[in-house]
Amino acid sequence: MQTERLFERIDSIHLEGITKKYGHGFAVKDLDLEIQGGELLILIGPSGSGKTTALRMINRMIEQDAGTVTINGINTKDADPVRLRRNMGYVIQNIGLFPHMTIGENIGLVPKLEGWDKERIKERVRTLLEFVSLPPDMFMDRYPRQLSGGQQQRVGLARAMAMDPPLFLMDEPFGALDPILRKQLQKEFLKIKNEINRTIVFVTHDIEEALVLGDRIAIMNQGELVQVGPPEELIFNPANELVADIVDTQRKFKHMDTLKVKDLMSPFDEKYVLEGRTETCDAVDVMTERDLETAFVFEGERLIGQVTMVELMKCRTRSQKLSDVARPVKIFQPTDSVAFALSEMKSTGEYLAIVMNSNDPIGILISDEVLLKLI
Amino acid sequence: MVILETVLEATWEHIVLVYTTLLVSIAVSLPLAFAALYSKKIEFAVMKFANLVQAVPSFAVVAIMVPFLGIGFTPAVVAIMLRALLPIIKNTYIGLSNVDPALIDYAEGVGLSQWQIHRHIRLPNAYPAMFAGIKFAGILANSIAVLTAFIGSGGLGEIIFQGLIGYNTRTLLAGAIPAIMLAVLIDVSFTMLERKVTPGYVKE
Repeated sequence: MQTERLFERIDSIHLEGITKKYGHGFAVKDLDLEIQGGELLILIGPSGSGKTTALRMINRMIEQDAGTVTINGINTKDADPVRLRRNMGYVIQNIGLFPHMTIGENIGLVPKLEGWDKERIKERVRTLLEFVSLPPDMFMDRYPRQLSGGQQQRVGLARAMAMDPPLFLMDEPFGALDPILRKQLQKEFLKIKNEINRTIVFVTHDIEEALVLGDRIAIMNQGELVQVGPPEELIFNPANELVADIVDTQRKFKHMDTLKVKDLMSPFDEKYVLEGRTETCDAVDVMTERDLETAFVFEGERLIGQVTMVELMKCRTRSQKLSDVARPVKIFQPTDSVAFALSEMKSTGEYLAIVMNSNDPIGILISDEVLLKLI
Repeated sequence: MVILETVLEATWEHIVLVYTTLLVSIAVSLPLAFAALYSKKIEFAVMKFANLVQAVPSFAVVAIMVPFLGIGFTPAVVAIMLRALLPIIKNTYIGLSNVDPALIDYAEGVGLSQWQIHRHIRLPNAYPAMFAGIKFAGILANSIAVLTAFIGSGGLGEIIFQGLIGYNTRTLLAGAIPAIMLAVLIDVSFTMLERKVTPGYVKE
């Protein structure tokens, strides 16, 4: 009864030239997509974009008309579908809990078919229920209809984890839940995802969900892949109108916490650099020439602070050097979150900060510009 | 006046006849209902046949056995079975095919084989409809088993017909009352079986 594992972990999944015809049109057309081991890849797009079809071709619920799907180099066409699917956790929108089985039986069904003994199944069910924050003693013997939608979805998640599969396929798992519950479950799922550290392919139509959960997001339209990349890339370099529309700029505000300083900074330029030993009155000329309002003062490689044109123009004595008047400047790492950076800057009334990668200045963060980019 | 022993004997014959027929009917119906899931043609053929047999008057079905199978227990079983098949097949098929497609989809998605889906998902979900069909078939079988007394099946029909022919109300009742009680027994027995095999979600 025991099904041998096809793979213990996912190195990569390749969809190459995948095509699925549907009547006269294409459900999926010549799709090339790589899913990297350990990532959560979101498939998103308008309805009819082929995202679910693409997902279902990975476990052969739908057979492609052309192209190949390989998992760790194994062509799925060469694998027995039943065996293939036993290697994957599967979660769907309407959860699909079997109404005639208790929660325990639902979670333990596949282990049972795999020939596990009763004690082992029970043990596993308990562990999984605890993992999804449902007290086992309270829930094991209940029937699905006695559970709330959120509880059912948690059971759905636990059930998908029953065989500890290396790959999860999730088709709008939170789609049927009300928005508040969805947010809550997404948060929990994010925690679970980090804990189990598995490869996940996740279909959704909710861009917020995609931005919160996805390591990478693949945007599909009319059966074709439009763009694939990390959330920031889609937001700041949308391939076309559709992508820009889907990642709707207005929503960026809501996702400031997922954005990093490096996404919104302006590139650093040598022209911003002034030497500490430069005299203040000379600096005014230099800055005028370089068309600068603010400059950063360095001594060799070391950042000392910032000077502004307004302050420097008050220069009186020749002996005053930039190192004497430079004010401290906020320094951020490129990986700091934008939300954190903006609140830091706001607290001291700064509108400008420098972004340093260890000792190298790589960018400038301008609060007004950040907002402009966000709007 | 009939003696108690005769009534008991006839009742026993009646029970054996009805339950044998029901078991055979279930055994024939289940594979046909499952087969109907796989092909529209089979579904069409099975349903048409069952409907057709249902349309023939019970007494004619009983009578038509004689030229083909003669008289006795077996032709009686076949005659009753022909009438009992429809409700069982139809209800079982409806039960099997009305399972939420999402459940089947999910079951396939986690790697259940077709057989496992039938065994663990479709069948348990079909139980309520299936048992409703069996109970109805049981009532039908019980009443037709009275008629098959004409072709030598034995059972309570013999006593009832004796009573009818002789205008003997007491004899008639001695056959009719156990037959009515049997109808109740059949219903109760299958309800109990249903309770046993149907999972808790229906009971509550």
